[in-house]
Amino acid sequence: MPIAVACYKWVLDEDEIRIGNDLSVDLEKAHGKISLFDRSAIEAATRLAESHAEFTPVALTYGTDDTEKSLKDALSRGLEVGYWVTSPDAAESDGRATAKALAAAIARIDDVALVFCAEGASDTYARQVGPRLGVELGWPLVTSVLSFEVDGDSVVATRKLEDTVQTVRVKCPAVICVLQEGFEPRAAGLKAIMAANKKPKEHIELADLGVDAAGLSKRVALKGFSMERKHIVIAEEDVGLAARELAGALRKEGVL
Amino acid sequence: MMSVAFICADSPAASIELVGLGNMLAAETHCLAFTPADAEALNDCGANSVVLLEGAERPIEGNAVGIAALLKERLADLFLVGATAQGRDLAARVAAYLDCAMASDVSSVDIAGDGVVVTRNLYGGTVVEEVALPFPAVLTVPAGVGEPASGEAPVEAVAVEWDNRVELVDEQPIQKTGINLKEATVVLGVGMGFKQKDDLALAEEVAEAMGAGIGCSRALVEERHWLAPEQYIGLSGLSITPDLYIAVGISGQVQHVAGIRGAKVIAAINADTNAPIFNAADYAIIGDLYEVLPQLAKAVRAL
Repeated sequence: MPIAVACYKWVLDEDEIRIGNDLSVDLEKAHGKISLFDRSAIEAATRLAESHAEFTPVALTYGTDDTEKSLKDALSRGLEVGYWVTSPDAAESDGRATAKALAAAIARIDDVALVFCAEGASDTYARQVGPRLGVELGWPLVTSVLSFEVDGDSVVATRKLEDTVQTVRVKCPAVICVLQEGFEPRAAGLKAIMAANKKPKEHIELADLGVDAAGLSKRVALKGFSMERKHIVIAEEDVGLAARELAGALRKEGVL
Repeated sequence: MMSVAFICADSPAASIELVGLGNMLAAETHCLAFTPADAEALNDCGANSVVLLEGAERPIEGNAVGIAALLKERLADLFLVGATAQGRDLAARVAAYLDCAMASDVSSVDIAGDGVVVTRNLYGGTVVEEVALPFPAVLTVPAGVGEPASGEAPVEAVAVEWDNRVELVDEQPIQKTGINLKEATVVLGVGMGFKQKDDLALAEEVAEAMGAGIGCSRALVEERHWLAPEQYIGLSGLSITPDLYIAVGISGQVQHVAGIRGAKVIAAINADTNAPIFNAADYAIIGDLYEVLPQLAKAVRAL
């Protein structure tokens, strides 16, 4: 029974990050969520199992102990087993260390034929881990995938680049990084959420995989992006007057 | 610091900018070319040399293994790669083969000791992170970060290993609408506030009066399929830098705002007082776009 692994990251909800007037960044009040783009990786694995019943779609995530909270959501989106790798140092990970952690975990799972990643995580949007994971595993990889078909022991994928669309063929096992555009994630139904509680989960400690969690790149500083805007509200009851005021203000700015 | 930088980008124009950045950071800059035509186009790129990769094929990411071997042999400290779909993929593979650190889509780079300090955006651009990377380091760099360089650059040819595990079956150019919002001075963005596709005519009328290009939020392309993908502005779409951006019926989620931060002036029209777009706007009209747009078209024409 071939396994399709969907990798995802448990990230802070960017809408809940507070930026102070001094541009300090408050992450404390932000809750976790499955990275927006990674939901499309989960969707890709789920769709594959729906069209090719021989595949078992599983979840794989790497993070701190907090990531356990993500499993219920991942498993309610169609995945059957939840693997979660943890390290107390995961917060200081970088793309290199994360790819090594995921690769080591994948090596422990039997019969993995396909690994799905998204383009990038919605917090860092670094778009490193998928390609790095392919290299770490020694498997071929295809990024920017808009759609794909499994054909025997191969995958034929459509890649959408800036100026061209490529059709490529690759032999399994392989890493496939999907575009959000081709794999709009489904909303989990109540039944699926209930069923998720009963699905098997496996906790793996990074230390047991013999992988060093330390990142090579180190964060030096974090601050809010300062976007100075005027915040002028044109509060005229009369819509025509408001429109004229706006047009006049934009003309005065020299942008119209 | 006798550091060595290598450059790689999808197009000669992008390479020339990165050479400019490389020349500021390193003692020696070498620019990769995948085809003889590209090497020819780079003959005045200002690098110490243009390295024509012999045996390079498409998809270009298959050249990563060969490029990594070359960088190792030449003791490269920095690999600067144009931040496009192929560039980011290639860069991450090279970083993995070199087992080194990488930073993506950097907005600035400075040398700091035996490495670099870069800034990059997190959380859809609401947060700026400063990161230190030791040499060797791989960076992907968006257009506009480096200044184009010039100066004669001799071409040397180097044979590289090609990874043939991903077979290119077919490649077709994407048929584009010709809309290029990156170069528009005024952009009008439309969002989910429009109830039907036909209603976009209201926006088109204003855009015509302003000489504006029309862009949109992600949902209008990917959920409603009303507009072309090259009109989608946001984190995973376009980043634009017009003089004026007018958001109409766009709530203004972080991912959308990420694409418009570079606009000189931002105006927003939305019926929802609490729409986050207003936090990013210089001018705001809180109102029904169906009433405001016809009046705005009239007002602009009367200017």
